[in-house]
Amino acid sequence: MLEIKNLHVCVGDKPILKGLTLSIQPGQVHAIMGPNGSGKSTLSYVLAGRAGYDITEGAIAYNGEDLAAMPPEQRAAKGVFLAMQYPVEIPGVTTMTFLKTALNAQRRTRGESDLDAIGVLKLVRAKAKALNVSEEMLKRALNVGFSGGEKKRLEILQMSLFEPKLAILDETDSGLDIDALKLVAEGVNALRSPERAMLVITHYQRLLDYIVPDRIHVLAGGRIVAEGGKELALELEAKGYEHIVGQDSIKRSA
Amino acid sequence: MTALAARREEARTSFAGRGLPTRRVEDWKYSDLKSALGEAGLGEEAAATRIMGLPQGLEFADLADPHAPAWVAAHLGTLARNAVSESSLAFAEGGIALRVPAGQAIATPLALELSGKGHLRLLLVLEAGASLSLFETGDAAGPRNAGIEIVLGEDASLDHVRLSRPVPGVQVEEIALSLAARARYNAHFASFGGKLSRTELTIALEGRGAQAQLSGVSVLGGDAHADITTHLIHATGNTHSTQLFKKVAGGKARAVYQGRVTVAKGADGADSRQTAKALLLSETAEADLKPELEIFADDVKCAHGAAIGDLDADSLFYLQARGIPEADARALLIHAFLEDALTNITRDDVRGMVRNAVGQALAALT
Repeated sequence: MLEIKNLHVCVGDKPILKGLTLSIQPGQVHAIMGPNGSGKSTLSYVLAGRAGYDITEGAIAYNGEDLAAMPPEQRAAKGVFLAMQYPVEIPGVTTMTFLKTALNAQRRTRGESDLDAIGVLKLVRAKAKALNVSEEMLKRALNVGFSGGEKKRLEILQMSLFEPKLAILDETDSGLDIDALKLVAEGVNALRSPERAMLVITHYQRLLDYIVPDRIHVLAGGRIVAEGGKELALELEAKGYEHIVGQDSIKRSA
Repeated sequence: MTALAARREEARTSFAGRGLPTRRVEDWKYSDLKSALGEAGLGEEAAATRIMGLPQGLEFADLADPHAPAWVAAHLGTLARNAVSESSLAFAEGGIALRVPAGQAIATPLALELSGKGHLRLLLVLEAGASLSLFETGDAAGPRNAGIEIVLGEDASLDHVRLSRPVPGVQVEEIALSLAARARYNAHFASFGGKLSRTELTIALEGRGAQAQLSGVSVLGGDAHADITTHLIHATGNTHSTQLFKKVAGGKARAVYQGRVTVAKGADGADSRQTAKALLLSETAEADLKPELEIFADDVKCAHGAAIGDLDADSLFYLQARGIPEADARALLIHAFLEDALTNITRDDVRGMVRNAVGQALAALT
């Protein structure tokens, strides 16, 4: 589904990703772990299509198409979803209006007809309950005055509503207490399916106790420096990043 | 000579002495009235004013009538005057005066259309405990100068919404208010500019507990200009004022906000907030935002802020990443930027009309 080959990315003049290669198949959950500044967020932004992140070498193929050639809205319509680390607050736009606008924009790009307000409302209500997103939250301006947990739950609600093929979760655990983390992880796990791939980006092993990945990649200095199964997270937790990142050769296990 | 004629004569003499303000006058630095008008100046023509149905309970008087009732003579030309309002007082032969008697609540909104060219004058008196909702529209074919005086008695309450149409010409409006104890003035000014368009408000909070809530939006394109200049005077303590003005400018448009808040000596417990924000959609658009505070009292709460910028890149990316095309995402964010200034409009139907006008102006702009 996603084939990243030898990806080099600069922000301004500064190289951030320096030859990243990664392949994800439908139904798989991959985790990217890495210390601060390793390029984790850059990877998520490049996949979602943020301006200012220049690909200088390499390629990203998404279902055989050149992902980098598409504007962000087209990627979204084709099933790429990025749950953001810092969801933005937009005063003046209610959450419900935003969800309806986004859902119908994606549908229109795909050549599907708009859902009417009642259709969207029913769909949102059905999904909101499981994530403990209240009616009152949906009436408020998007993310304005939301707690950290509410913001992340709304991200997962969007993921559930847009039904992406490739979901990227950027530091979804940041700023969450353990109860909020469990709720969000349950929401994510409920969306695991044989057709859907997920890329979970995190600094800490904690999230991976709840969203158990098929494969873990360690990102450091803009490249994947170690790969393994879920047990790699425990090793990182026990020994720290330095132990693995410090080694010259790329470590491959299991 | 009647008292009114004498007052007009005095205004004529005063205007002849002062002349039109130039850019050298600090208050008119960003609005070059003299150049915009050219040789002809504001002229001496009087404009027509139309009332679309006089709501029941409202008293009407024609300012051209030399035998106007005593309440007209008691108030006309008594509030703050500058050179421009002197000229509207001097040259607007007629004009209208309206009074809501004490304790009357007028349920039907008063719709006023101030259009045409020339000078016009409006006097609005709300006696103690009276309330009214005023919806003012208008455009100007040629230079138009409106002088409006509003007197709010104790516990009186006025909702005022002004919806200007975009005009090719010059339009200036001077609004002077005085508020007695616990009187309330809630106003919104939606403006789409002109060759030169200026609304100047001088609001004196005279009695304890008096409050003024002002808001406004401007959407300007081409080479439109719109200036809103306010002067809030907290003459006594325990008075409140809030101001929220949002402006969007594209093309070579120019948006101006000047807001001066004066808290008089001894006016302890005064509370004032003012915010002005502008969004510039082109390199050639300009915004001049100038909040000012003059505080002569000891114990006051005053907050002011101004910001000029482009759309927030994080917000734009967030919306695009959710599938909303860039042009739609921009439009959504611009609407959102203006929306909080519209929430100050109390009547749903009026807010809807202003929102529609804003939508049309934005569609023309982007």
